[in-house]
Amino acid sequence: MEKPAPLGYGLGLRPIYYEEILSSRPPIDWFEIISENYMLAGGRPLAMLERIRADYPVVMHGVSMSLASTDPLNFDYLRQLKALAERVQPAWVSDHIAWTGVHGVTLHDLLPIPYTRESLAHVVERIQRVQDFLKRRLVVENASTYVSFVDSEMSEHEFVREMAERADCLLLLDVNNVFVSSFNHGFDPVAFIDGVPADRVVQFHMAGHTNNETHRVDTHDQPVCDEVWALYEHARRRCGDVSAMIERDDNYPPLAELLDELQNMRDIDARISKEQALSAA
Amino acid sequence: MKLADFQSLFQQRVLAGSGEADKPLLKKLRPSPRGATPETLLDVYQTGYRIRLADFVSQDHPGLRAILGDETFDGLVDDYIDQCPSRDPNARWFTTGLPDFMRENARWRDDGAAVSMALFERAMVDAFDSADETPVTVQALAGFAPDDWARLAFEFDPSLTLLELVAGTIEAYSAAISEEAPAKVDKPAAGDHIEYAAVWRVDHESAYRQLEPDEYVALSEARAGHAFGDICQMTAFQQAGEIAPERLAQSLSSWFEDGMIIGVRVRGDDQSSNTPSSA
Repeated sequence: MEKPAPLGYGLGLRPIYYEEILSSRPPIDWFEIISENYMLAGGRPLAMLERIRADYPVVMHGVSMSLASTDPLNFDYLRQLKALAERVQPAWVSDHIAWTGVHGVTLHDLLPIPYTRESLAHVVERIQRVQDFLKRRLVVENASTYVSFVDSEMSEHEFVREMAERADCLLLLDVNNVFVSSFNHGFDPVAFIDGVPADRVVQFHMAGHTNNETHRVDTHDQPVCDEVWALYEHARRRCGDVSAMIERDDNYPPLAELLDELQNMRDIDARISKEQALSAA
Repeated sequence: MKLADFQSLFQQRVLAGSGEADKPLLKKLRPSPRGATPETLLDVYQTGYRIRLADFVSQDHPGLRAILGDETFDGLVDDYIDQCPSRDPNARWFTTGLPDFMRENARWRDDGAAVSMALFERAMVDAFDSADETPVTVQALAGFAPDDWARLAFEFDPSLTLLELVAGTIEAYSAAISEEAPAKVDKPAAGDHIEYAAVWRVDHESAYRQLEPDEYVALSEARAGHAFGDICQMTAFQQAGEIAPERLAQSLSSWFEDGMIIGVRVRGDDQSSNTPSSA
């Protein structure tokens, strides 16, 4: 499997950190942008992005492709996305296994689907069309979900594996999403990670979530919790050298706290590398 | 159930909340292994949707919240979300229809001060991410012969919007966004009094300035492409007496200083206009 080279340890680029990033050049290897936030005619967001991408690799992460929607693919959106990709020259472009609305409405959320053969064929066909249009392999992420369906004919990780192989796409493994969904639906998160095709995983997302006791919600407004760090270690052992990053979208801490989380990733990875070197010796 | 039917049901639940129509959807849900009720789990999507959209409106309309107060503002946002579901994949565009919704909706259209603030704030948001252009300085005029000055026409930054507002809108907005912003700002009295404003972007930030009536007319005409000399000949400025040309020159200078002008050209005879639109 031909994959983009790993980028190291990255951060979701958010406006609140623009100035500090530009002035202090923190030890961050790359940035992920939310594509839609830069699909604009001009102004500060694009100006900041131009300055930051001059010094750092950038990847584009979208939330509105609506790959699982039964509405027609939105080619106006895809044209804007393609134009942004031509401008930004990202290492890759990603979006989610989700739908965001039907009948022309958009709910600005990553909505769940039953994991059926019909859903699978539908999503695979749309990923292939998007890849043809963008002329690049798409990176597709597992979303957090809060409900699951009796109509599902396969597990989520079986769906992800089949989808990736049939559409010949790459994968963004959101470790926090695996944990949140496994808690909400009662599946084994380790089995999920073991079930996805590791050779197609090019990126990890790490984030915090909200624990409501009976369910957890993917809010990106907390530090990464211990259970997700443990799952990260497992994902790293299984998938090897994969670009990893922290997503934070609310309750923003000082940048230093996010740098500490990146350092935690580095420490875990260094420990794994050391163990692997010792066992190979 | 076909995927399309499932998605229609699910979306209806998110848009309308719980009700009789949910029954087919509820039958499709697996029970939560943690004991969460189906209603609770579906509400994650429904409340998330409404909170997200309300947050977009709040971010773009601090002045409107300040003059309406939290309760009335939240009522407006609820009405808008209920009646105008988002249709653009980019959340940036959700709020852009708010002033039009207010003008067309029986509950809000008579609140002239609120509509005025919504229009002003939409212009601020639109200016923020409009197309990039490079302003020119007043030095650009040095390249033209004095004989051409009367025929000079100006190109303005695409972010520039000119607004006719309820008097007091700008002052209320300034109070709402000031560092010591009070919880509530007095709503301007919506009467016959109006004020004029220019909104544009400079140094990556939206900017605004109140305009005197004559400057508003001059700027409107200049932006419409009329030559400086033609604007000076307008009835409005002729009636203003001898100081009019001097005031117009001051206005032109400030447009340069404010970064509103991105180009200067000599208007050709074939384009000259002796009848500017609002003369």
